[in-house]
Amino acid sequence: MQIRDLPHPDPGDPDVRSGFRLLLWLWRSQLGGQLKALAWGTLQMAAIASFPLAVGVAVEAAAEGSGEGLVSAGGLMLVLGLAVTVGDTMLHRAAITNWITAAARMQQLLARRAAALGAALTRRVAAGEVVAVSTGDIEKIGWFVESVSRFGAALLTTVGVCVALVVYEPVLGAVVVAGVVLLIAAVLPLLPPATRRADAQRAEAGRATELASDTVAGLRVLRGIGGEELFLARYRGASQRVRRAAVRTARMWSLIDAVQVLLPGLLLISVVWMGTRLALDGRIAVGELVTVYGAVTFLLFPLRLFQEFAMAYSFSRPSAKRAARVLALRRETGAGPAAGARGGRVPHGDLYDPASGLTAPAGCLTAVVCGDPDAAGRLAERLGGHGGDPSEGTPSVLLGGVALDEVPLEVARTAVLVQDKDPVLLSGTLRELFDVPSSGRVAPRRALEAAQCGDVLDALARSGADTGGDPMRARITERGRSLSGGQRQRLALARSLVTDPEVLVLDEPTSAVDSHTEARVADALRLVRTDRTTVVFSSSPLLLDRADRVAFVRGGTVIAVGTHRDLLSRVPEYRAVVTREADADVPRAGIPDTSDTPDTPGVPDTAGTAAAPGAPGARRRERLEETA
Amino acid sequence: MIGVAPPRYDPAASESATTLPVGSARTVRAYVGELFRRHRRAFLLLVSVNAVAVVASMVGPHLLGNLVEDLAAGARDIHVERTVALFAVALAVQTVFVRQVRLRGAMLGEWMLADLREDFLVRSVRLPPGVLERAGTGDLLSRITTDVDRLSNAVREAVPQLSVGIVWAGLLLGALTVTAPPLALAVVIALPVLLVGCRWYYRRAPGAYRSEAAGYAAVAAALTETVDAGRTVEAHRLGARRVALSERRIGEWTAWERYTLWLRTVLFPVVNATHVLILGSVLTLGGVFVMRGWLSVGELTTGALLAQMLVEPIGLILRWYDELQVAQVSLARLVGVREIEPGSGDDTVVPEGREVRADAVRFGYREGDDVLHEVSLAVPPGARVALVGPSGAGKSTLGRLLAGIYAPRTGEVTLGGAELARMPAERVREHVALVNQEHHVFVGTLRDNLLLANPDAGDDDLWAALAAVDADGWARALADGLDSEVGSGGMAVTPAQAQQIALARLVLADPHTLVLDEATSLLDPRAARHLERSLARVLEGRTVVAIAHRLHTAHDADVIAVVEDGRISEWGGHDELVAAGGAYAALWRSWHG
Repeated sequence: MQIRDLPHPDPGDPDVRSGFRLLLWLWRSQLGGQLKALAWGTLQMAAIASFPLAVGVAVEAAAEGSGEGLVSAGGLMLVLGLAVTVGDTMLHRAAITNWITAAARMQQLLARRAAALGAALTRRVAAGEVVAVSTGDIEKIGWFVESVSRFGAALLTTVGVCVALVVYEPVLGAVVVAGVVLLIAAVLPLLPPATRRADAQRAEAGRATELASDTVAGLRVLRGIGGEELFLARYRGASQRVRRAAVRTARMWSLIDAVQVLLPGLLLISVVWMGTRLALDGRIAVGELVTVYGAVTFLLFPLRLFQEFAMAYSFSRPSAKRAARVLALRRETGAGPAAGARGGRVPHGDLYDPASGLTAPAGCLTAVVCGDPDAAGRLAERLGGHGGDPSEGTPSVLLGGVALDEVPLEVARTAVLVQDKDPVLLSGTLRELFDVPSSGRVAPRRALEAAQCGDVLDALARSGADTGGDPMRARITERGRSLSGGQRQRLALARSLVTDPEVLVLDEPTSAVDSHTEARVADALRLVRTDRTTVVFSSSPLLLDRADRVAFVRGGTVIAVGTHRDLLSRVPEYRAVVTREADADVPRAGIPDTSDTPDTPGVPDTAGTAAAPGAPGARRRERLEETA
Repeated sequence: MIGVAPPRYDPAASESATTLPVGSARTVRAYVGELFRRHRRAFLLLVSVNAVAVVASMVGPHLLGNLVEDLAAGARDIHVERTVALFAVALAVQTVFVRQVRLRGAMLGEWMLADLREDFLVRSVRLPPGVLERAGTGDLLSRITTDVDRLSNAVREAVPQLSVGIVWAGLLLGALTVTAPPLALAVVIALPVLLVGCRWYYRRAPGAYRSEAAGYAAVAAALTETVDAGRTVEAHRLGARRVALSERRIGEWTAWERYTLWLRTVLFPVVNATHVLILGSVLTLGGVFVMRGWLSVGELTTGALLAQMLVEPIGLILRWYDELQVAQVSLARLVGVREIEPGSGDDTVVPEGREVRADAVRFGYREGDDVLHEVSLAVPPGARVALVGPSGAGKSTLGRLLAGIYAPRTGEVTLGGAELARMPAERVREHVALVNQEHHVFVGTLRDNLLLANPDAGDDDLWAALAAVDADGWARALADGLDSEVGSGGMAVTPAQAQQIALARLVLADPHTLVLDEATSLLDPRAARHLERSLARVLEGRTVVAIAHRLHTAHDADVIAVVEDGRISEWGGHDELVAAGGAYAALWRSWHG
């Protein structure tokens, strides 16, 4: 696998039973790369380890005044230098490639999982975890997986050098081997507290960043009403806590650094001491003493890799655990075992919700007025199918008599588009915003006109220098933060209009839009959605007045159906909700609930009109007024 | 494969919309100078402990050199014990000072980093409200998060490590020159190779690393958005497109990884070659010198070991120089905020009375493109004025002028005869407050969220303010009362509660004039009605200019101003305007049915 071949055509199916298994799976999926890194790493470290040999030869040659020895030392040095250079560079290339391919694989897996979970993810607490894995954990996981091969190479060379030393000079060698073991044993216990402190420091830093971005996000409030000093003091406190935590971490690292100077130093001193004695006795040559000295200094290098490996493991363990947990998330289907049992054909016809008794006749614009906004949101969500909490056991919404919970999710979403109260504008150009799966019937330009987005387009066209005056090339920032609430709502509405689904459910689509504009949106909405089923949750008279029929929902069930004007005159409670008359506590007794019971379950009263999709809306409206 | 061209797409180029200035080289230099002056003592301390540590580390090679010298000379009476004792003392000193170097370096880096982020926030909270309104907070937000983050490594590690590396390399070269002057020549031979290679590398590396980091951030950002917009993604069946986007981002990011890997593929051999050249030339040249008798064997050993020790500081310098260069751009962005003139104002301008007036006001966001044309109006104390009209007509802009956030291009906006534009923001807000849809609840306690409006308020005042907006019910039900943590991460506050907190702040700040920019419009109707009762109590006895999206707000006002195309086209009471049969009347009829 080369970096240029990324992203992976297929990231594979990870082993998510545990964090460790995930690491193992990742390692196995790049076995070739790991072997390559191991080979180059061994070459590099073996070459570095042999350098003291050359130095020893050179010193010996100089001591004996041998020009020949000097030349061969130089030659050896050249060969070793070449090997180090090639090994070092190639090891780096192989290691980074392993790191990048592992990280890319994880990012791809995560993106797939997030896309598959969709709305289910938003409902769970896990949303933050997914982001945490992507922004922080993957880096550590990649680091650990990559470091396995380098650790292997370091282990091989260390063992090699130790064996060579023991063979070459048994007494000195034994001392060095014992020293190396002692060194590893001394540093390892220091690592867990160091990584703990590092984690604590990161947590503090995260809190400080959160405070800072929170303060900046609310800066307009602070500047408008005061309290800057209060928040500055708070941030200073957090910032100083980060500093202290960082210094605490540094204390630990500095201790580790000191131990790494002290212990090898002691080892060196013993080697020099013993070596000198041996040299004095004539048992080893001067050059050999220098060689052993050099070999000991070399050993510090693989020792650092041991330490890095231990650190990578302790950092990546919680990360791998979390990544495995996130990748193991599956969608809980609200519909039970029957979900997806029906075929893939997109149903059409009247939309009927048995739980509330709400019917949205095919091809009509139905408005729903709901006293409780949260209940409205839940009802809207249920109209799309596949949404409810599985424990509730509410019956599925029917579209043309087909239970939406029982058709595949993709089909249900194709049939019914539910635009919730807070639709998100995904960042990108305006053209990208409107690049959604759609019927192709409604062009973006037409949808934008219908949603009265003229002023948004003007603002966008002027906003960037690189748009060339074309608003479709203007960029929408994340969540459309650069736009006002009303502008965002209208763009989201335009996007839903472009999708042009069989059934469009809109939850408060114009709550932040001014009355002038709202009236125009309502007119245009009717036009664009001609012959399509539309359900609008709203309490704005401007919208309600333009609906074919209005259903009034209280306590989760439809209690009155009719036109806006009709309900206004007949149902005092309805009147109270939509005109916002000061007193909402209209006597309940005034509601005529016999004549206006919801449509009979199972037999929607407009079933006949569904068969005649071409019937003009006006005629249907008369019919409804008759029934009401 | 010979060489990799830099990828065509640069994620760093479009990563954030820059709406605020980026610091010029001069501002950056001045700031860095100031930072160093502030921490001069810590810096000097670091350099000194480092020097001691390095000198102590050179004792070993020196002693070994002497030993080798003596051994080679065939001396029999060597005081090994004395040498070992000296070695041990040097080692002890080195150990202590190495620890100090690391610690002092971290302390210096952390102090500078804390200064940097705090200085930035200090500057940010002093920005004039008008600048904030126009620039938005997005750019500031990306500076305090992304740029501070990128700077952390540079300041935390690069500054101390670079100074350590430079001192270290300098001392080693100095020692080499002192112990074996001819060997210093051998080091110089390797220098040109290093310089040429580094020049090539550093010309390309900083930009490339920046793009690489931005590319990686873009990968995470794409995923974050997919997660955040989960509902929308599912409703619009965007799953496949989101995966494709993530993979495109991964492709863009890894393309930069591949490029920077190529840069290092060139740099690494250069650095390695330099080391080999240094060591090789020291040994071979040194060997020749020894044979010529210009150099002793001991000096050669010491020299070779010192030359070998050069590997570390050179590596250190190369490693962190990189980081410092990458950080430069982020530093310029952080320091850029300093180039914005802080809000000025004349403290002697004091309003007399509460009448709000606009006289022949013209205003535009861009040169030659006025949004308001010759608008004049007068709001007597205690009056309610509603501004209605279509989107983009200039209602919000007019409201911001009346709240003193923007200064008119021509004409003037006055409060009690005093020009708002000439007062400092802190003075203006004692009198006028703008209430908009932004009901930010800060991370922290409920108390902090209220105290910001009046830092001197006691708990009784806070509860009274909450009661005034009908919020004491849920607030008293909180387990920790005023000390309950709210905002993201704390207790989830409903939009209606957020708004009540915002209203309670107004009660505490107690300005006599309010400009309401459709404060309740983002709320659902039932919550809004409940809030309107709270709001009504807050409005009592104050002058109110309300920008109304909803007509019932207008209905209750004393005067309605219909704003169309930057002009006030109708002005009068509700009944008056309905009777007049203009634009307002038409809308009212359609709304009220």
